[in-house]
Amino acid sequence: MTSPNRWGIGLLVVFVVLALFPQALAPYGPKERSMPYLDPSADHLLGTDDIGNDILTELIYSARISLFVGFASASIATAIGLSIGLAAGYCRGAVDEVLMGATDVVLIIPKIPLIIVLAAFLRPGVGLLIMVLGLLGWESIARVVRAKTLQVRETGFVMSARCMGFSPFRIMGSEILPNIMHVVAPKFMLATAAAMISEASLSFLGLGDPTMKSWGMMISFAFLEGGFIREMWWWYLPPGICITLCVIVVAAIGFSFEVEGTEARIE
Amino acid sequence: MIGVTSLLAKVTRYAVSLLVVVVLTFALPRAMPGDPVMNIIGDDVWVSPAMLDAIRADIGLDRPVAEQFASHLWSLLNFDLGYSYHLNAPVADLLVARMGWTLLFAGVAIVAGAAIGILAGALAGWRPETAKSRAATLAALAVSCTPPYFLALLFLSLFAFRLGLFPFKGLYDVATPGSIAHHLFLPVLVLTLFAAARNTLIMRGSVVQEKESLYALYARAKGLSDRAVLFGHVLKNASLPIITQIALDFGFIFSGALFVEIVFSLNGLGTLIYDAVLGRDYPLLQGAFLLIAVMVICANLAADIVYLLVDPRIRRQEQ
Repeated sequence: MTSPNRWGIGLLVVFVVLALFPQALAPYGPKERSMPYLDPSADHLLGTDDIGNDILTELIYSARISLFVGFASASIATAIGLSIGLAAGYCRGAVDEVLMGATDVVLIIPKIPLIIVLAAFLRPGVGLLIMVLGLLGWESIARVVRAKTLQVRETGFVMSARCMGFSPFRIMGSEILPNIMHVVAPKFMLATAAAMISEASLSFLGLGDPTMKSWGMMISFAFLEGGFIREMWWWYLPPGICITLCVIVVAAIGFSFEVEGTEARIE
Repeated sequence: MIGVTSLLAKVTRYAVSLLVVVVLTFALPRAMPGDPVMNIIGDDVWVSPAMLDAIRADIGLDRPVAEQFASHLWSLLNFDLGYSYHLNAPVADLLVARMGWTLLFAGVAIVAGAAIGILAGALAGWRPETAKSRAATLAALAVSCTPPYFLALLFLSLFAFRLGLFPFKGLYDVATPGSIAHHLFLPVLVLTLFAAARNTLIMRGSVVQEKESLYALYARAKGLSDRAVLFGHVLKNASLPIITQIALDFGFIFSGALFVEIVFSLNGLGTLIYDAVLGRDYPLLQGAFLLIAVMVICANLAADIVYLLVDPRIRRQEQ
């Protein structure tokens, strides 16, 4: 494992701990309020926002939604992409044509505008965000899985499994799947990174879940409630840095998986 | 024309994509929870009961779905994207009035971003182990991992609020090219950085692969300098994936442009969409989605044609 990767995993663990145990780490409860617009001080390390919430507490509690939306929608996207890619690569022929045609069709539709329209119609919520981001993020995974499946299906062990009369589902599941996981893992991380950016963008537009704060929503509130005019950088900078750092870490881990995958293949 | 068959296959897919988008805009207001008429005209808007009945009759929700779809399609073909009851104007007029600015600054950013990205990516991929290349790659990765609006907010607070170098809102004070350039500089810069970062990463990967190929080795063997091998031979082949990428990224950069506009309060498509989201102006949102989808599809079609023109190998394959 390379050293940047170790750093990345360490940071990601920190973020995950923040997301899992915010009550143990946050200096205040999520509902506790004091004076609004306070400057950073010993009591409030990052000051308070327009309604007197402690910003550090909000920052820690927001990790949960940002990470959860990212990983959950990437899981949906990976499940869909994996099924479509496996089916297209294994069956080839007409199935391949139809599935990859559908993939191209979905690939071209601009995602963010579509999500804006969908989220505006349906009342905002975390579940909706996860569903929409998951259902629209699978094309690149499907393509990679298909390409790899086309290679693996010609190998000796797949041939012998077919000769022994195993069902196609069994072959895809226990012969091919383990051998394509090294291309799926980096794509999963990159899908997570992309979903986190989309979540932050949609929350900024006010299309996130209003009852649960995320980092994107914190920036949105800072933008709308005077954090910028008052130059309260301790309000809008930390959530932005958290999103960026978290996305970089997730993407970097994905890239290092990719490199390890190629090296393993060469060896 | 050679290569027409593959182009035709692509055009079919684009047509299907367009159809999917049109069906979405038709089905969404009808399938979503709530009164379809309110879904079609938008929430939070007051319309007189008589007017509401007139709209209801006009949409014809009691007619068969096929007939409704046909009339929907017919109005789209006549550039009738519906009527915004919030702004009291036809959606098509509103969009056309605003899209010019967005296209202008997104276009500048896409072109500049492609140029910078190709150059930076080529140099970073040629010698990936040097400190400069690592720094460039890391910077590109960091920028492409930042939500576009956050980068815009950072630049706005640093260069406009704190240093006072640039105006912090609007397109111009007086409509002179100088004033417009002064106002658009920061938004274009943010978007360019964003496009350049994505292109740098792709170009870098592409050059890393291409420089190992035999023609590059041969070029070096015949005594060409590093610079001549990279810019004379490798660059041409390595930039091919960028063409497709720019087209696929068009929708992404365009979406980024919408957010950058909101941050810099530019009167373009982005602010229009933002207001439509806040006011639940559904016809406007749908029209904007349709318009952006059409633009993205056109960009991809253009990229395919360019690809066909610049890469002789594709043409030869089909002979």
